[in-house]
Amino acid sequence: MNPKTAGKIDGIIKKHSEGHGRLLGMLEEIQRENPHNYLPADSLEYVARKTSIPYAKIYGVVTFYSFFNLIPQGEHCISICRGTACHTKGSKKILDFLRKNYEFEGEDTNDAKLFLTTKDRKLTLRSVACFGQCALAPVVEIDGDIYGNMKVETLKKIIEKF
Amino acid sequence: MNKQVRIKINNSDYLMYDDITVLMACRNAGIKIPTLCYLEGVSQRASCGLCVVEVKGAKSLMRACVTNIREGIEIFTNTKRVRQARKTNLELLLANHPRNCLQCNKNMKCELQSMADELDVRECNYPNIRKRKVPVDNTSHSLFRDHEKCILCARCVEVCSQVQTVDAIEIAGRGMDAHVTTFFDRGLGNSECVNCGQCLLVCPTGALMAKSEVDSVWSEIDNPEKFVIIQTAPAIRAAIGEEFGFPPGTGTTGKLVAALKKMSFDRVFDTQFSADLTIIEEGNELIERIKTGGTLPMITSCSPGWIRFAEKFYPGVLDHISSCKSPQQMFGSVAKTYYARKLKIDPRKISVISVMPCTAKKFEARRPEMTSAFEYWKKELNLKDKDSFPDVDYVLTTREMADMIREAGIDFVNLSGERFDSPLGMSTGAATIFGATGGVMEAALRTAYFELTGSRLPKLELEEVRGLKGIKEASLDIKGKRINVAVSHGLKNARQLLRQIKEGKSPYHFIEIMTCPGGCIGGGGQPIPAGYEILKKRIGALYQEDQEMQIRQSHENPAVMELYENFLEKPLGKMSHKLLHTNYTGKGIYI
Repeated sequence: MNPKTAGKIDGIIKKHSEGHGRLLGMLEEIQRENPHNYLPADSLEYVARKTSIPYAKIYGVVTFYSFFNLIPQGEHCISICRGTACHTKGSKKILDFLRKNYEFEGEDTNDAKLFLTTKDRKLTLRSVACFGQCALAPVVEIDGDIYGNMKVETLKKIIEKF
Repeated sequence: MNKQVRIKINNSDYLMYDDITVLMACRNAGIKIPTLCYLEGVSQRASCGLCVVEVKGAKSLMRACVTNIREGIEIFTNTKRVRQARKTNLELLLANHPRNCLQCNKNMKCELQSMADELDVRECNYPNIRKRKVPVDNTSHSLFRDHEKCILCARCVEVCSQVQTVDAIEIAGRGMDAHVTTFFDRGLGNSECVNCGQCLLVCPTGALMAKSEVDSVWSEIDNPEKFVIIQTAPAIRAAIGEEFGFPPGTGTTGKLVAALKKMSFDRVFDTQFSADLTIIEEGNELIERIKTGGTLPMITSCSPGWIRFAEKFYPGVLDHISSCKSPQQMFGSVAKTYYARKLKIDPRKISVISVMPCTAKKFEARRPEMTSAFEYWKKELNLKDKDSFPDVDYVLTTREMADMIREAGIDFVNLSGERFDSPLGMSTGAATIFGATGGVMEAALRTAYFELTGSRLPKLELEEVRGLKGIKEASLDIKGKRINVAVSHGLKNARQLLRQIKEGKSPYHFIEIMTCPGGCIGGGGQPIPAGYEILKKRIGALYQEDQEMQIRQSHENPAVMELYENFLEKPLGKMSHKLLHTNYTGKGIYI
């Protein structure tokens, strides 16, 4: 790991030096600071070495919360709802449009648990069980913002503006 | 202050202190509650759901292991609802568990299997829905994990964390993806794991097992070219009887030797021989350190799990650890040098097999530096590096040895006792007690006292260092000099003594550290189960045997004396350093 990243992590560890849940706060910030929005193994090793929190415990935490990513993420993240309401309103069509038009890497076997990123790391595609916004179906989340009544055309325009 | 409360279990009245769980209360009342994940004093994750009971007034069934009793509580352990729920919960566990019990190493010794019988589960109608198949973990020299058989009770996780403070494993993933694993699924062989095997002693299924070397040992026996020597550790004789139905604490040394002789090993020797040798070398090392102002306290080095622990967690104390190899490794190098020469056999044709109570010994035998015999013969036999051979070829656990004895069709129970072969089968009572926590310390002090004063300890039994207390201390006056010693077993306890050393506050001259609770008799290679009461009985068997031995001090072992006279010359001499001593490496994994 380069000294710059190490220094950054040192600072983050220092900020979260006390209290319950300090590990969560730490990891959240380290992921946010990472240019690819994920937690590389060497960063986690560094946290373990510096905090004496056991390696396996850290791995247990980062694999428990779906919020944490262990593989590099695209610059932009699109989450498609695959709940019942969104499905009947055509979320599958949106999903297939993205699949067809972008070159994703990763295991693409389960629509309900999709987690793919394009080769150029521009775009990450995930599926979500439900956003709780069924009245707006189909719902798509793009970089943290929720979009209702999504259509393939609209999505295409948004992506073009990225 | 705990107060007494009136409780009812199955309509009978009881008066009990209120600081206990429903599970304990029922046990006190003589009522059995089934459990799979609970481990007294170590784990109460309440994950298996088998201990459910009905509590009057409570809407749902309560898990007895995590529910405390209170004044007036009314508990029912044997209602239709309870029986049904226990069955269903077990069926759900079985749904994701393979059914090839016949091929499983744990067949007939499996807690899950006996629980299914006990709860009268005769069918299982739930489908196996565990989707992700995590490959078996084959990375360790000592242990092996088959995720498919795991029921996620997390006993292994808790033992690794609470008893050993190694924390090599944790449950990773969620729901269907949950599995017990190491950092980034790298495997036990690439983790902090110290190979102690305490995890597999508590595993209720066949998910965690020692790496078997049984097949390799059969091949060695069957190979007419090989001269096969077997050595057995002190702790084996006090426990292997359990595998054949003897009650815990039955010493079966004679039967064990007889069984091994029937299995056509060329020589049946005793690791206790090299335990005596260890005491001579280690005792002299201690005396030298004290006399010359060397690093103190000195710490014992027999327990390979502890060595790994030090290398990974306490690299700063490596200087404190005696440079003596463990008795297993000393035996290997002596057998393939001194004894090979004596018998005029090519050392490459000798195969040294150990029976150990320990899974970490499998790892130890494969440490790359454990090839002293090869180094010794290199020049004389004109060997190249690629011809390297290990001092100890294969390591069997007590359980594996018992499996082999059974497979060979030997009627262990009815064997008449036999004696170890000479000379490497000769040993003293001091070596016998190596298998119990405090034993190495006691044996070392018997000899150190003699070396320093020229006379025998007034009382050979050092009661202060015996027993199952986590840390034991003693202080001895030797020729006007106070020698302070401490003994720990279970790595959590070791940390206390190590912290003192790190802070420069250790008041001791000599420390014995054993990885496993109870010492070697509680090792990861021993018969299962191995609860506290069983450990006490095994320890009792060793002290009993020591009491009955004619020679009880290592420096009086005539075969060891002969070894020095004819080969090694003197303790800590040049040859000793080549064959019997080692050094440690490790940078530590935490800063």
